[in-house]
Amino acid sequence: MLSRIADSLFWMSRYMARAEDTARLLDVTYHMLLEQSQDSYQLRWDRIITITGEQELFYKFYDEATPHNVFEFLAFREDNGNSVVSCLNRVRENARTMRDRISREMWENINTLYHSVKAFDPKVEIHNGPHRFCTHIVFASHGFYGVTDGTLPRNEGWHFLEAGRALERAETTARIVDVEYHKLLQSSVQVAQPDNHQWMAVLKSVAAYEIYRREYHSRIDPQKVAELLILHPRHPRSIRFNVALLQTALRSISGASPHTYASEAERLTGKLHDTLVYDRIEDIFARGLHFFLTDLQKTCRGIGENIARKYFYYAGVA
Amino acid sequence: MAMALQAREELFRDYNIGSFYDEMFSARSTARGHYSRVYDELAALGSGQFQQRRELADSAFLLQGITFTVYSDGRGTERLFPFDLVPRILPFSEWSKIEAGLTQRVLALNFFLRDIYGPQQILKDRKIPRSLVYSCRHFRREAMGLEVPRGIYTHVAGIDLVRDSRTGEFLVLEDNVRTPSGVSYVLENRLVMTRTFPGAFQRHGVLPVHHYPDELCQILRSLSMRSTDPVIVVLTPGNFNSAYFEHSFLAQQMGVELVEGRDLVVNDDVVYMKTINGLTRVDVIYRRIDDEFLDPLAFRGDSVLGVPGLMGAYRAGNVALANAIGNGVADDKAVYAYVPDMIRYYLDQEPLLRNVDTYICSRPDDLAYVVDHLHELVVKAVGESGGYGMLMGPMSTKSMIDDFRTRLLLDPRNYIAQPLVPLSVCPSYDAASGRMAGRHVDLRPYCLFTGDKVTIVPGGLTRVALQPGSMVVNSSQGGGSKDTWVLRGED
Repeated sequence: MLSRIADSLFWMSRYMARAEDTARLLDVTYHMLLEQSQDSYQLRWDRIITITGEQELFYKFYDEATPHNVFEFLAFREDNGNSVVSCLNRVRENARTMRDRISREMWENINTLYHSVKAFDPKVEIHNGPHRFCTHIVFASHGFYGVTDGTLPRNEGWHFLEAGRALERAETTARIVDVEYHKLLQSSVQVAQPDNHQWMAVLKSVAAYEIYRREYHSRIDPQKVAELLILHPRHPRSIRFNVALLQTALRSISGASPHTYASEAERLTGKLHDTLVYDRIEDIFARGLHFFLTDLQKTCRGIGENIARKYFYYAGVA
Repeated sequence: MAMALQAREELFRDYNIGSFYDEMFSARSTARGHYSRVYDELAALGSGQFQQRRELADSAFLLQGITFTVYSDGRGTERLFPFDLVPRILPFSEWSKIEAGLTQRVLALNFFLRDIYGPQQILKDRKIPRSLVYSCRHFRREAMGLEVPRGIYTHVAGIDLVRDSRTGEFLVLEDNVRTPSGVSYVLENRLVMTRTFPGAFQRHGVLPVHHYPDELCQILRSLSMRSTDPVIVVLTPGNFNSAYFEHSFLAQQMGVELVEGRDLVVNDDVVYMKTINGLTRVDVIYRRIDDEFLDPLAFRGDSVLGVPGLMGAYRAGNVALANAIGNGVADDKAVYAYVPDMIRYYLDQEPLLRNVDTYICSRPDDLAYVVDHLHELVVKAVGESGGYGMLMGPMSTKSMIDDFRTRLLLDPRNYIAQPLVPLSVCPSYDAASGRMAGRHVDLRPYCLFTGDKVTIVPGGLTRVALQPGSMVVNSSQGGGSKDTWVLRGED
């Protein structure tokens, strides 16, 4: 497989996952905040921007994190490279440069999505609130991975797509948990009780609310939420689940046997996976959750860089 | 029956046959034999239903991203290549004649290129002026004396034909033996037509076209000197190229890699592609990049599309290119005028398809005539294609003509002139009126040369000038296309 194609597949998948994650976050936050007081309102919108890591850019365009501004910024602005629309543009651009390599149905699906998103009028959507738009994106993403699952041969290309999505989801979940805890601890003076609603929103944003209820049967306990999102072996959005997927994908690409590794990316992934399997949430809290998650995000970046170095290197050579 | 008549009046009401040869009608409301069933079906459809089918077809093209890129607005907008649902139909007997004529022509062009880059016998025998060949912009000295695999130069040829309304005869308008594009539309148009009018194809006995990629792949496979299972790639300038869709389409259909220049590297005169597992040797390149951009070391140094060292690998015989380097000399519109002579010279046959009469402006007598008759002639730059660099005398203002005359006199070798051929028309849907109207069409069949024989996919691409009265069919200038049907023998 051409290095350039592997690169495009990996990033196409990452951008699709990113578009979906952003849409989820927007939708859930918006609806939770309809029931909130004005104070926490402000706080929370600001936090979404922090999760996406785009504070600097956001405050270049806007003075204030109002629902209107945040929605426009995260959903529609093309000068925000990580907005939903920008991500989907890049998905299509990547797909276009390798449409001979993806299935015809994948291409039609991506193309249909692209045109359907273009048909949304930002003004109308911003006025009506993000639900309609975000639901469309979330299901479009399901559609994309579904078509891919049903039509793409399980060769290297498939594994690069899997790797891209897994790495993106692991990183996003880490960022969400980190920002939520970080901010909640900071604001714990103002908000005496950790706010149930906010944690429910966090769970819903990563489709984990029902799982939480079934697994823990308890009221929302932040430590258990963290456990679910970081260490759960079967929840498809947990960090551990995605790191395991990533490890499988990388091994399938290199052909390395279990308990060995063929690249630095695989070594880092394997090491991280072991931590996530054998550490308990109490251990992580004892060491400091923020410290743990910062370190984990750094590792994820390192894995991404090493995948690029090993497999996409040639893509950068003119 | 009453229904059908009423509907017929709807779609074909006010249909004006006019003074041009009409592909469908021989006289008002009398459909030609090979069109009668399609005419009845269209008539029975009525304009509402026709409109529905049209929307179905358009959305199929849009959602499959079958678009071309227009650069004029600075953003590189994607446009649909307009598709007209009324098919262009050729009876088998007529197609057989065209096929024989094209076969002759492609064979002669291949002989010519082998000769020009080899012994140059045709120049020695003074059938074509040496100065004409050597002054071609696309003549490549770098290709002199090169042994090309299996002696094939014109692996793929797109020959543009037009039907002269005055005689009903097909004439050759130009030859494209460099990197002719459009064949993907032949296949996609057919696919969309079969979805839009299911059943029509069985009823009519239309010859299939979908074996094209397979035929092309077989030719490419035969070019490798090294392996019976060679690594083949399609080389594209990239996804900003207007024909990118076609490049990826062909790669996908043939099941080979689509590469850009930056995916390839040359080491010790061997071409490799850069893969996740390192370098993989490439044996055959179906290139869709023009000669001058192929290798910055051999041709244009500023090309970032090409592969440094590719020409060296080609010369060393380590990689095969299709089409061959230097084919542009046969596309030259002044050389075109000599193709009938080439057929006589190399094949000892009379040409079955005639050329359009051509004045070669480098000849003083021709130039004198052209300069005085610009208002009734079509003047074309010899090295251009796609409708660029031309003057349509009868449709031009005096100042445009005067302007062009100045350019012509400065560089006569660069121009040829032809009388305006009144192209035939084919009924096409006119969105403004919601009715059928006659629109001018041409025909570009795609010819594959295997080294032993010429294979032509039945029909080809019919391009249609959708603007009323226009004879310019190029997609960059408002042209669209039609599915082209060749009916089985018995019709």
